[in-house]
Amino acid sequence: MSQSTVLPPGVSAANFKSALRAFADAVGEQWVLVSEEDRHTYLDAFAPGDADEHAASAGVAPKSTEEVQAVVKVASRYGIPLWPVSSGRNLAYGGSAPVLRGSVVLDLKRMNRVLEIDEQLGYALVEPGVSFFSLFDALQAAGGKLWISTPAPGWGSVIGNALEHGVGYTPYGVHADTICGMEVVLANGDVVRTGMGGVQGSREWQIFKYGYGPVWDGLFTQSNFGIVTKMGVWLMPQPEGMANYAISVPNYGDLAVFVDTLRPLRLNDTINAPYTIQNPFRSVMDELSMQGKTRESIYSGNGSLPLDLITRELQARGRGMWNVGFNLFDSAQGLDLREARIREAFARVPGSKVQTHRWHRGEPMESWMRVTPALAPLAGVDWYGGPGGHINFAPVCAPIGERVSRLYEAIYKRFIEYGIDYYCGLLNIGARALVVNAVTFFNRDNTEMTRKGRELYRVLAKDGAAMGFGDYRAHISFMDDIAEMYAFNGHAMRRLNELAKDALDPKGILAPGKQGIWPAKLRDKRGTPT
Amino acid sequence: MIAVRGALMLAALVACASAYADELTPVQAQGKQVYSHWCIYCHAPGVWGTNRLARRIDKDHAVLENRTDLTAAGIRAVVRAGVGSMPPLRRTEISDADLDAIAAYLTRQRAAQ
Repeated sequence: MSQSTVLPPGVSAANFKSALRAFADAVGEQWVLVSEEDRHTYLDAFAPGDADEHAASAGVAPKSTEEVQAVVKVASRYGIPLWPVSSGRNLAYGGSAPVLRGSVVLDLKRMNRVLEIDEQLGYALVEPGVSFFSLFDALQAAGGKLWISTPAPGWGSVIGNALEHGVGYTPYGVHADTICGMEVVLANGDVVRTGMGGVQGSREWQIFKYGYGPVWDGLFTQSNFGIVTKMGVWLMPQPEGMANYAISVPNYGDLAVFVDTLRPLRLNDTINAPYTIQNPFRSVMDELSMQGKTRESIYSGNGSLPLDLITRELQARGRGMWNVGFNLFDSAQGLDLREARIREAFARVPGSKVQTHRWHRGEPMESWMRVTPALAPLAGVDWYGGPGGHINFAPVCAPIGERVSRLYEAIYKRFIEYGIDYYCGLLNIGARALVVNAVTFFNRDNTEMTRKGRELYRVLAKDGAAMGFGDYRAHISFMDDIAEMYAFNGHAMRRLNELAKDALDPKGILAPGKQGIWPAKLRDKRGTPT
Repeated sequence: MIAVRGALMLAALVACASAYADELTPVQAQGKQVYSHWCIYCHAPGVWGTNRLARRIDKDHAVLENRTDLTAAGIRAVVRAGVGSMPPLRRTEISDADLDAIAAYLTRQRAAQ
């Protein structure tokens, strides 16, 4: 076995060599991935800077829960930080790369079994390596009565996406809400099953979240308290029908009225799945990207894309300034009722346009339904010509027009200041929240551009916190910055998180730095990722 | 963003299946299957990887399945190292054996020449 040129922090080369040998005993030598070529595959492929700052010292790829336990015990013995990834495809958030340089990536991709599909009760039990693509295939093979809720790119892990609070575009779109029952390996090597899984021989593990006593599932999402090796996920029965809506409003000043018109429709479940409002830049950029075009096809100037140019582009296409898209799920009669309410609401918004089309069970699937997973959103990463990447500043905001507009404009001002094109989607998560998802695209080879992108991100995090906002997710380089936004009572949340961290993982081996949660022995690393 | 047309991709897969199914060796068939799981979502006609290649090279060389100039070594290197905006694929995602099979599938026309 070759030796890595990167070592875990505080671990000698000799001890690391012994640890790699012990990992090999646990998972088989071919699944200790330590060659230069293998370690390269664990770098962040969309790094907003030098990917080597988050380089892994090795990858270890177990095939079963028992092997995960064995790996954890070795890591504990040698004090080696493990960075668990399920599919490792969380591009724009770090891919499979760890926060802390020198961590060993615990690559769970080989644990890729769909263990159970229950069409009667609408759930599946899956392992971490199961992607949306594979679950889709398994559900089709099982009879096709259940549908997945797929996020934008479909190669991600069903478990990983739910644990990271990812979203899809169906009534089951808040994926963390669809979690029901987990199997978790703890830092001490113990295995627990949450909820009804705590009952020996339970067959109700995937149908009731709460079990008896504290509900632990949430603590294992966006955290570093345990390694999820199995998870139940609730799945939507195939609907009788679907309708797609594309609604636009004509003027730049219409954002607030747009948000205020959509809010009650979502709150009373007329709109029964998440919607995304595209800002003017995004509408044009998406269209061009899907055609394989880049920025130079419309603009070669420096600085942020001018709004008047984008306004002309939208007018030339007969499109409104703000565009929302969403799907509804119901029977034909139900869709009629929903449509009447939507049209009634938008009849009060001057110049708004509503376009819709429908699908009924038995008809061929269409692309707007987003039933089949895809990777199409990746088309946008080369906006500046490529090789591209992006990072997302994504504060959570109530869908109150005035509040959303104020936040949107504050972010826009900074994008202009930093000369970066303002690609933004206002993504509805649940009935009561919007995420103002401001995306910074960059060319990875352009160090000045990536530096500016990182700077912009950090300025936005400070601006957002000063306005009383917090992000819901972060790239590995910015996990401390976003944790910093959650500053109530002198960072009481951080103190609580790290109290739990030290109790559950006293040796600090599980994903140090994830979500800004550092174990006692590595707290001096806080703020060091660049 | 608007999803890629799943129906189009399926149509592309079916078209390839009918065009080549009879001629494939078992390894090439395995490669085609793996390719259809891992690669097709970016490299089907009209999809972003293909569009990107059309910009970088030329339209005639953009659809990998139609290429006659690919080499097994080149395919292995690109898959493991990534190129441009294509990220590398790990050994846990595409095993060495599956990668060899993809290479056999994509170089079948060259081999036949």
